[in-house]
Amino acid sequence: MHIPDGILPATVCLGGYATAGAATWYALRKINHQGNPREGIPRASLLTAAFLVASWIHIPIPPASVHLVLNGLLGAVLGYFAMPAILIGLFFQAVLFQHGGLTTLGVNATVMGVTALLAHQIFQLRKVLGASSRTALAVCGFLAGAGGIALAAAAVFTILFSTIPAHLDVQTERAGIYALTLAHVPLAVIEGIFTAMLVLFLQKVKPEVLED
Amino acid sequence: MKKIFIIFITVLLMLWPVAAFAHGVDINYQTKTAVEIVAKFDTGQPVSGAQVIVYAPDNPTEPWVTGKADENGRYIFTPDPSKPGTWDVQVRLAGHGGVVHVPVGGDNTAASGSTGYGTIQIVVMSACVIWGFIGTALYFGRRKS
Repeated sequence: MHIPDGILPATVCLGGYATAGAATWYALRKINHQGNPREGIPRASLLTAAFLVASWIHIPIPPASVHLVLNGLLGAVLGYFAMPAILIGLFFQAVLFQHGGLTTLGVNATVMGVTALLAHQIFQLRKVLGASSRTALAVCGFLAGAGGIALAAAAVFTILFSTIPAHLDVQTERAGIYALTLAHVPLAVIEGIFTAMLVLFLQKVKPEVLED
Repeated sequence: MKKIFIIFITVLLMLWPVAAFAHGVDINYQTKTAVEIVAKFDTGQPVSGAQVIVYAPDNPTEPWVTGKADENGRYIFTPDPSKPGTWDVQVRLAGHGGVVHVPVGGDNTAASGSTGYGTIQIVVMSACVIWGFIGTALYFGRRKS
């Protein structure tokens, strides 16, 4: 899920920084329009820490091994705070664990941050289905968690598939990309269930966390 | 005449093996330093069958040699000793991988090296960063007096 340094051409990396910058600006603008922007910072800080640690939790899905991402969960719980939270989390992941890279930070932030914002929009559908319904909350939580990963995996697949250098064995690389993308399908289900359980728990113990 | 013919045949037969063994083999040798790359995921699993691209110091844009790692994520190449400097080796598999910089020649040659930090370094740095996030949360979450 994290694209490392040296994989993508410079133009794609620059484009990634441009889109990540635009998405972060949009998210911060939306946060500023909220009543008290500082209120969301403690929650965003704690979930940024969770996002940072999540990449350590590996799930063996033969023939690959994938790790938790939690971008959908962050989108569902944090809303627009998810974008800066993911950007900061990705920076520390790149510096500390070499998960991703600094040249690809923009691309990775776009892939995971923008999909987190989309997951937030999916989670908002619970208001249409019934704000007080626990079933609607669980379903939208699952769709947000799973959708965040699925959309991010699709984006990574598209980026990698369209930028394979000519000097590589293209067939081998494509086969690897297919396998890696498919390995994220079970992960999407796992994160969807985890997100649904978390939002149900939060609704029970601290419902104001889920309010915009 | 018959005698001369017999002598001629005898001499010819004596010369035949000489002709056969006249293909001498000259074997030379010289020692060269090879570089061994071992690529593993951070889970410890080898990056089996990864594509390896080696770039020489004098041309960092065109691959000097390409190959594939074995099932143990191992790849060996022999750099050209006439090109001293830092050789860049990229290991890639399905969009994952990294680049290692190998100093070759002169006084720069290193016996071994690796990318990344040690486990203890990662744990300490991560603990500091996580505490930073928790501290931020506590600071902004404090009640107004």
